[in-house]
Amino acid sequence: MVITLIPKRVFKFPIEGKNISPDVFAKKSAKKIAALEMWEGNRKLSIGDLFDIKVDSSSSEELTIKIEGNVGKVRNIGFRMSMGQVIVDGDAGMHLGEGMSGGSIVVAGNAGSWAGSQMKEGTIEIKGNAGDYIGAAYRGSTKGMKGGKVIIHGNAGHEVGCYMNGGLIKILGDVGIFAGIHMVNGTIFVQGTSQGRAGAQMTNGKIILAGHSEDVMPSFTIEDIKAKVKVDGEKIEGPFYRFTGDLADKGKGKLYVSKTKNPYLKSYEKYL
Amino acid sequence: MGAAKFLNYSTHRTKTPLIRKNGELVKATIDEAIEKAAQILVDAHYPILYGWSNTSCEAQRVGVELAEEVGGVLDNTSTVCHGPSIIGVQAAGISGATLGQMRHRADLIIYWASNPWDAHPRHPERYTMFSDGRFEKSAWSQYLSKLRGEMSKKKIQRASNLVLKKDFCFTECESEGLPCNMYQNKRRTIVIDVRKTRTADAADCFLQVEPGKDYELLQALRVLVRDGELDVDEVAGIPVELLEDLADVMIGCKLGILFFGLGLTMSKGKHRNIDAAINLTRDLNNRTKFLIMPMRGHYNVTGADIVSTWQTGYPFAVDLSNGYPRYNPGETSAVDILCRNEADAMMVIASDPVAHFPQAASKNIAKHPLIAIDPEVTPTTMLADVILPPAFAGIEVEGTAYRMDHVPLPLKKVVEPPEGFISDQEILCRILQKVRELKKRDMD
Amino acid sequence: MTELIVKNGFVYDPLNRIDGEKMDICIRDKKIVKSVKDKAKVVDASGMVVMPGGVDIHSHIAGGEVDTGRLLRPEDHVKDVEVKTAVTRSGVGFSIPSTFTTGYRYSKMGYTTVMNPSTPPLQARHTHEELADTPMIDKGTYPLLGDWWISLEHIRDGLLEENAAHIAWMLKAARGYAIKIVNPGGLEAWGFGRNVHSLDDVVPNFGITPREIVRGLCKVNTMLNLPHTIHVHTNNLGQPGNYVTALETMKCVEDLAREDRPVLHITHIQFCAFKGEDWARLKSGAEDIANYVNNHNHVTLDVGQVVFADTTTMTADGPFQFGLYHLTGNKWVNHDVETETSGGIVPFTYKRSSSVHATQWSIALEIMLLIKDPWKVLMTTDHPNAGPFFYYPKIMAWYISKRARENVLKKINKRARKKSLLPSIDRELSLYELAIVTRAGQAKALGLKDKGHLGVGADADIAIYNINPERVDPSKKFVSARKAFDRAAYTIKDGEIVVKDGEIVKQVFGKTYWVDVECARNHCRKTRARANDNIKKKFKDYWTVEYENYPIREGFLHSSAPVAVKAEI
Repeated sequence: MVITLIPKRVFKFPIEGKNISPDVFAKKSAKKIAALEMWEGNRKLSIGDLFDIKVDSSSSEELTIKIEGNVGKVRNIGFRMSMGQVIVDGDAGMHLGEGMSGGSIVVAGNAGSWAGSQMKEGTIEIKGNAGDYIGAAYRGSTKGMKGGKVIIHGNAGHEVGCYMNGGLIKILGDVGIFAGIHMVNGTIFVQGTSQGRAGAQMTNGKIILAGHSEDVMPSFTIEDIKAKVKVDGEKIEGPFYRFTGDLADKGKGKLYVSKTKNPYLKSYEKYL
Repeated sequence: MGAAKFLNYSTHRTKTPLIRKNGELVKATIDEAIEKAAQILVDAHYPILYGWSNTSCEAQRVGVELAEEVGGVLDNTSTVCHGPSIIGVQAAGISGATLGQMRHRADLIIYWASNPWDAHPRHPERYTMFSDGRFEKSAWSQYLSKLRGEMSKKKIQRASNLVLKKDFCFTECESEGLPCNMYQNKRRTIVIDVRKTRTADAADCFLQVEPGKDYELLQALRVLVRDGELDVDEVAGIPVELLEDLADVMIGCKLGILFFGLGLTMSKGKHRNIDAAINLTRDLNNRTKFLIMPMRGHYNVTGADIVSTWQTGYPFAVDLSNGYPRYNPGETSAVDILCRNEADAMMVIASDPVAHFPQAASKNIAKHPLIAIDPEVTPTTMLADVILPPAFAGIEVEGTAYRMDHVPLPLKKVVEPPEGFISDQEILCRILQKVRELKKRDMD
Repeated sequence: MTELIVKNGFVYDPLNRIDGEKMDICIRDKKIVKSVKDKAKVVDASGMVVMPGGVDIHSHIAGGEVDTGRLLRPEDHVKDVEVKTAVTRSGVGFSIPSTFTTGYRYSKMGYTTVMNPSTPPLQARHTHEELADTPMIDKGTYPLLGDWWISLEHIRDGLLEENAAHIAWMLKAARGYAIKIVNPGGLEAWGFGRNVHSLDDVVPNFGITPREIVRGLCKVNTMLNLPHTIHVHTNNLGQPGNYVTALETMKCVEDLAREDRPVLHITHIQFCAFKGEDWARLKSGAEDIANYVNNHNHVTLDVGQVVFADTTTMTADGPFQFGLYHLTGNKWVNHDVETETSGGIVPFTYKRSSSVHATQWSIALEIMLLIKDPWKVLMTTDHPNAGPFFYYPKIMAWYISKRARENVLKKINKRARKKSLLPSIDRELSLYELAIVTRAGQAKALGLKDKGHLGVGADADIAIYNINPERVDPSKKFVSARKAFDRAAYTIKDGEIVVKDGEIVKQVFGKTYWVDVECARNHCRKTRARANDNIKKKFKDYWTVEYENYPIREGFLHSSAPVAVKAEI
């Protein structure tokens, strides 16, 4: 079952896309889907006001929602979904897959901030760049993403994995500051560069920086040098300096930083 | 300075309501201006109602109701000021007190990234360095001794240059550590900043931080306060040995207070600087009594946060467009909405965002209908489509405002407003009433 | 003139000894009257329970502490939102609701009067501003006076009358209703990070003891003839073994009791009824407390019932809150107020699976059920400390049904279940007794003469619940009872129908009660004038605000309802 949504026009105002979810669309006709609530700014509209809807019930695939076009202003796509697939053929807005507990989301373009926020299971794959706060907790909460995978092919912003409690975030491009801030558990892997302060205030979990990092927090202490590190079943070649921190928070998190890409860290070797 | 503010408040005020017609601002009656303002708000799909700081709580309360009625975003100047402090508090809490506690009890005062000598001139004399409390005395005499010492040095230097034709070599107290008076049993002040400010001159000790490295310094201090060790020799340009001394002084005080300013909220790390600072004081409370307070400016911005919080649950950046309050700075904050050009109208009251916002945001304010409720001519009013000049809250109108430590104070009415000028509160009430009439008309 | 008649309901009005009698209640304008004309609007209460509107003696709903709690916890709000309607404002709920939501939710449960139990006098203006934005209920607040420097100094110097005059000044300045005391002496010690640990510990820098503070203020309360007694949050709150402190606090004013009238109210007694040397050996002190209260008439209590929820603790007990932060590692707010008091906020989750939390849950119920006279023990959750107030209907179900309690007992921590006295307690409160502990007894303890009853002259504050006591046994059908209490069939406030079928149909704003202490004799007037001058002189030394800016004008209150009393100075 494939349900295709095509934006009727270019969106300017923020759009509440909480109802764009395989769980919500399941067992509904195109007419019923069109009638589902969708706010545009302060106007309460319905999905049918903003999208053309095509339902193809012939395919035996599990429920797939395909969005053809730019929905960078549509927030909360895949909100709390537990099954099925969402494919966005363009940019996706903030809070993509927030709280999801299963299924998968693929975005061909870029995604906004808070993608994968509070997710429990499932996968999100973003081919382009993503914003800040990937897999993060809500303000004031200490419960970020618990499980599942977020894979970003491009770059991500700041505070990726903020208060992460589990799961995996993989960034093949560069990342901003504070990757893994307040991390409680889980794994973050960054292939490109990090603007610094990775692992700040973390209490546990694993962060691997395979590229150049602007700095290492002074509240981290060097443990050893590791030849390789395991991420998502794969062995990533090092060598890596392995740090423990954040000591200021009695943390036992592990920060792996590429030795070759960060020659300025040689000064730590005197402690080994 | 206070006298100048009070006596000149009326010098540059706007004299009548104005409406922009064919590109020009022309005089209008108050009813015309209110009708136009209400129409702009009713037509808008995602209006921002911003500012709120230079007015009373009574006006702010109506403001929340108006934002709710029009389904807009309610935001105040915290968003470009101490918003990060609030976000830091939401992460870590805050060990605070009212200012009198510092006056009575603090023997260690730290101004971090804050320069009250220029920004809060009465602060040191009322609450900290130069105030007298029940348990601690003013450090004024120490400051005078220091000034005398410096004057003497200058005189000797001048004499040396005139007579000996060379500079006098003072044998400084060559210790690498903190100045000796940091260990005395008196009120002491430390300034930590990226540059030596006038406050630093008056303080007992100044520590210069490398710009953009406050966060590292705070986290390093947290390790030292726990009696931990660091793998590095210096942090933020300060040797670790000196930091160890600083940690000792902080642990050894009777009651310490850390005041911080925009140097922390608006530099690299923003709310995480505050998060770390609050956590540092939390850690210190395991060893002694330690407090922390943001140096808030901007008149009644604290009131704006407080009123917004009690009515909506959230202090600023409150999105009411879906019929209930939602809060997510970065998503629902005025500057970010404007940068993404998502708003289609704006009402600005008691503040001047066009002057203070980043250009990417200000240029988008200009693209859409703008209502300005402000007594003065400002860059914001110059772009507005409707201007409603109110009576001055706190001079011509009484009300309530909140001090930086959350103490509510009554604002007095000192003079009558000129004929025809009504308060912010009344303007907002009338706009609200008109909005309801227009909405009802649309439905019928 | 608007007239209303509530017809045919089963009326429970304990202050007038009416126990389920089928009768009509007549209302004219805002009061209950003997009769009305035929044209009166009829509210058909057939087959329903009619009670006075609910009265809550202790619920943190407004002021600096509450608002900082709201600011602290966006994650608490996001899970419970209220959408704007044609009649109501939008808001957020759960453990620290926004002000409009607070008023609406109380009203939906049939509540019409709620007292905010603590305000630092310096920030009382804030409390009154928030109360003005809290619709549907009448309200009041209690200024925190147990660590006020001026009061401590008078107690130290043995100047009772002077102290009384100063307290009278303060109650008017802050527009307060009662003298609130929290961890007496401990809050002043907390100014420098310390605490007191017994009634006889000396308060640093003041040379007096908590015992002297409690006794001193108890005497002042009597001299001023205040409608409520001193309202006390004891020392050592939340410490294992603290039931001893609770008993000592009650004993320490035994000799000050007059004519069998209460002279002391201990609040959220559950938190002070811990027996045992440490958390691992925590036991219930309920029996000891109940035993004492059953044999003495000078004390009233409210329970502070724990519910298993994610809530927020907030009290003026700075050192206690600091301790909670240590216990939980949660974010922590501290707010010390110069010259006066302190405060702290820490989010807290009560879990069924925790032996300690489950024991606390049991303790509160044991105290309610073991105290024989329901006029002495009132229902509260110390909202939000032991739980949010919208759990009241659930708690009411526990009171009237042993089965309801057993359902919860089954699911709690095994150790706590074994220790609990509840399996051996069969008592179920009758609807009459329920009306006492949720309204009549609360109003009586507060001294609010026109509240908590349905006699002629009472305020027309009425709750009508859709449960038929003739057809339904609430002990068996406790779920229906709970639903009935959760969504009142009607709530009438000041003679107007404001809630129908659990929904707000009209938004109204109530009045704020405060005590206006007048003088009976010249001697009193002179003492009070002296107190006025003394405060003026000392102001700059004690506070960082100007004397003129401190007292709150009566006009500042949205709707001022002074309760005049004549002091016996």
